[in-house]
Amino acid sequence: MKRDTAIDRRTFLKGSGLSLALPFMDSLASASDLSKPPVRMAFMYMPHGVIMDQFWPKNQDQFLNSPPSIIQSLQPVMDQCLMMKGISGVPIHPFKGAPHALELSTWLTGRLPDADSRGRINISISADQIMANYVGAQTLLPSLELATMPQTWKENQEGLHEGYYNHCSYRSPTQPVPAETDPRNVLNRLFGKRGKDGLVSQTNPLDRQMLDRVLGGARDLRKTLAKVDQQKLDEYLDSVRSVERHIAAIENRQQEAALEKNGVAPTKRFATDSAPIEVKIPEGDKRSEYMKVMCDLTVLAFQTDTTRVSTYVGSRPNGASYPELGFSNEHHSQTHYGSDKEKIRKVAAINKFNVDQYAYMVKKMHSLKEGNGTLLDNCIMMWGSGLEDGNKHRRDNLPFILAGKGGGSIKTGRFISDTKGNQADLLTTLLNCVGVPLDRPIGIATKQIDAIKA
Amino acid sequence: MKGYGFLKELPKIQIYSFALVLGFMPQPCLANLADQSKDAPALKADAQKILKEKVGPFVKKYCTRCHGSRAKAGINLQNALNNPTGESASMHWKKAMANVKVHDMPPEDSSKKPTDEERLQFIEWIGKLKYLAPRDPGPFVIRRLTKTEYANTLHALYEVDTDIAASLPDEVEGEGFLNSISSLQSELFLGIANKVVEQIVAPKGKQPTATQKRLFGETHPTGTDSKKVVRSVARSLARDAYRRPATDAELEVLIDIYDLARNNNLSHTASLGYVLKAILVSPQFLFITPAEKPESKEPITLLDSYQLASRLSYLLWSAPPDAELAALADKGELQKKAVLKSQVTRMLEDARSKALFDGFGAQWLRLESLKSKVIDPKLFPEMTPTLRAAMIEEARMLFESIIAEDKSVIRFVNSNYTFLNEPLARIYGLDQPIKGIKMRRVKMKNPNRGGILTMPATLTTTSFPNRTSPVVRGVWVLERILGESVPPPPPDIPELEDQGHKEITNLTLRQRTELHQSEATCRNCHKILDPIGFGLENFDAIGRWREKNNQGLVIDSAGKLPDGKTFSTPAQLKNLLADREADLARNLTERLMAYALGRQLEGYDYIVIDQLMKKIAKDSYSFRTIISEVVTSYLFTHRRVKG
Repeated sequence: MKRDTAIDRRTFLKGSGLSLALPFMDSLASASDLSKPPVRMAFMYMPHGVIMDQFWPKNQDQFLNSPPSIIQSLQPVMDQCLMMKGISGVPIHPFKGAPHALELSTWLTGRLPDADSRGRINISISADQIMANYVGAQTLLPSLELATMPQTWKENQEGLHEGYYNHCSYRSPTQPVPAETDPRNVLNRLFGKRGKDGLVSQTNPLDRQMLDRVLGGARDLRKTLAKVDQQKLDEYLDSVRSVERHIAAIENRQQEAALEKNGVAPTKRFATDSAPIEVKIPEGDKRSEYMKVMCDLTVLAFQTDTTRVSTYVGSRPNGASYPELGFSNEHHSQTHYGSDKEKIRKVAAINKFNVDQYAYMVKKMHSLKEGNGTLLDNCIMMWGSGLEDGNKHRRDNLPFILAGKGGGSIKTGRFISDTKGNQADLLTTLLNCVGVPLDRPIGIATKQIDAIKA
Repeated sequence: MKGYGFLKELPKIQIYSFALVLGFMPQPCLANLADQSKDAPALKADAQKILKEKVGPFVKKYCTRCHGSRAKAGINLQNALNNPTGESASMHWKKAMANVKVHDMPPEDSSKKPTDEERLQFIEWIGKLKYLAPRDPGPFVIRRLTKTEYANTLHALYEVDTDIAASLPDEVEGEGFLNSISSLQSELFLGIANKVVEQIVAPKGKQPTATQKRLFGETHPTGTDSKKVVRSVARSLARDAYRRPATDAELEVLIDIYDLARNNNLSHTASLGYVLKAILVSPQFLFITPAEKPESKEPITLLDSYQLASRLSYLLWSAPPDAELAALADKGELQKKAVLKSQVTRMLEDARSKALFDGFGAQWLRLESLKSKVIDPKLFPEMTPTLRAAMIEEARMLFESIIAEDKSVIRFVNSNYTFLNEPLARIYGLDQPIKGIKMRRVKMKNPNRGGILTMPATLTTTSFPNRTSPVVRGVWVLERILGESVPPPPPDIPELEDQGHKEITNLTLRQRTELHQSEATCRNCHKILDPIGFGLENFDAIGRWREKNNQGLVIDSAGKLPDGKTFSTPAQLKNLLADREADLARNLTERLMAYALGRQLEGYDYIVIDQLMKKIAKDSYSFRTIISEVVTSYLFTHRRVKG
């Protein structure tokens, strides 16, 4: 199906940082379309790029039948995947000395931080959060943010705020969204206490009215503050609003469940859907097991329609090592390999390790039934890095893998060797595929990449 | 405790005109710190002249071809010239100085290069640009309580365990910034508030808890009495939680919430619990904010006493003001310099001041990362969680002993004692019998030990998981001890010292150092960094003494500092650094000030720091004096309201 490359001129992109959250009831009132499963999207990150010749297939045939070592674990589901070579990164001038602060922070924003206020966070809303603004009100959780490592790495390159080193998700230009690193917290908060009706219900309906009054009471305080301080306060007030919204979503679901009980409407979409997967929190500290459980949580959240968009910073730039692979060097130190074969071997092993966890998630999703197909059919799972190659910090050919058909919007089973576009074009295209209308392109985007669409 | 010099000679108090606009203040106040010396106009005129006649021509001759409108590497010195004290100019000048100083800029292949003398002059000139800045304490930066502060506040006010906040995310606390909250985490504050109320309010039919009685009173009021009681309970809950009296409007909101709960069939007690819950999710509780708009029309104002009390208690204790501080705030006494100083003394002697190490000390020394740092378990099996904890504890105890004993900051570099337990003593290779995991003070006879430079905690923090990094250690010493800015490595250059090549690993350390210096782009910085780092090579990646490195080569720790002074052992390196106590003290003062204000220092701040340094030097660089000078400084006690 050929789509118009023009971008829908509609709203929901709140980029000013001054706006407050959406009025939640409006979006809740429109019950979701039950005739087909919703489209969900996830982003999984690995820093420092890849060993190129062990990552990119030479051609379509190799892609499908004998993929290079780093992506080998995807072979059983390669027909569900799409690889695009040729997508360039945001040019990082004037921050040449900040490749690592930028590889993560530009990844989903598709633009550079503001150069004149680099000591503060000032970039733009990220693609996942744009999607959360649009579809988030229909699920218990607007978006899910996960990370393997605490987002507390302190390094400022080129005077850029430390936060740029740690975050890919930004709710507004000034608000990075912190990720959860403890899988137990995610499991408990999302799927933990279930009420009699099987729904998570740890909030009291009265709380919503209480919070509403607290918000009202903050208005006077807000007036006494300077503009930048008002912004900080708004960030908190936004989060209070999102609690209000969450409570409303729970009430909404409980009403739905009550209706279903009386035979009015089914909430479970299709009788053929697989049962929710079981998630076990691993003991010990093996990184692979840890990453797998984070992947499981993403799958479960998607499967139960708890959220429709998630990000997973599989590792942040710097500070990560992989003792499980038999060496303790930090990832970053190996990526400046020059001509050192040993380092190249280690970086390739780290790359493969990360893709393996992604492949685990994708395969699992492919094994779960949903509607007439699989869970994976209704999702777009993106894996990638913000550098092409850590050795020289190149960004001409960013490594990306897509899996899932995005509800029929993406044509998988292909390797596109000469994609024309940049990372912001890609994000713009993906949001279009999941049906999020944009009032302007993301970051430096100028077009959509039609080649990836079905 | 020994005497505190500064208490005996409290400075004479003067009142400056702009503070008089707050004329209702009966006592002399802190405004004397607004001291603008009489030389100020002359210094400013001089700085203007320097900018026009010296800095301008230098920058135009050597810099603006790349760092003008092209703004290579993000540095635009043309803008900095046009607005020399602006927000971003400060950072640009700092970088320019750092790069010019080490001959990193202009680049090797540049046609025009300044002489060594010109470079030194440039640095001196830039140092004077601060005199162009107008007197300005900066805005009061509002911020949310950190995770630690939040937990301590709940503990102090409601006697709940600090673990109650364990589920909050850890945060990066750079310059007043805190992570915002994700959707998943947005319910945390509400969830924790629920838990607090559950723990305080006894279930129906059960005896009320002691905290409940203290907070809500014991009587169940009826009729018209009830309104009064509710108002008074709400008022006192809010006074503690907001750290200032609530406004009438704020009280109305709380009473409205009480009524909401009552209308939903909650009991009187449960409804008060609901009010408390509302307070605990209110921004007035979660943020440290100014009390209200100042009445004066002046652009700069003294902090009100509630703000001052909060700012002080969160700085030294990471906890809310206690009863004594709160009472002083109520009485408006805290704005008296003598009172403020004696509070600093009292608070530093209180156990809660442990928080100063956790919040500031560990960040200064970069030890926060040690807890989670990966260290190769095969190479260093002795690195157990117990040992890690002992390493951090050792640094903490030295930090605290310097405050408790009112000693000079130079003890950070050179001290003849440290704190050890059995696992840590093994790292030190001590033959003295030290048994058990209890930390104790131990006299250090070995001159190579003692002080943070050669502590396992810092030596491990500045190493890679599997080996030492002389470069990281060199940068650490320059930045953390001497307060110098080290330019970052140019992009796209592999770390030379991280080479795994046989031909390189077989070289001696000396040869490796020289290799660093053979590359033009690396040479200028590495000839400063490497000698310091190699001076500490006798300590392995977890801080044990060794004579030979991993390749079995004898370690040569001799080297030369940029000023030409030579050393041949870590002990001698320590002594050379100890001679730079003024630099160390200034570095600590600047860092503490930035931490206390929650923002980066710039322009006028440095003039204030200059003034503080004079007093601090007179007091032999006492760490206590540094803390007390920061707290009573113009910057800490004032804020800009407009402009």
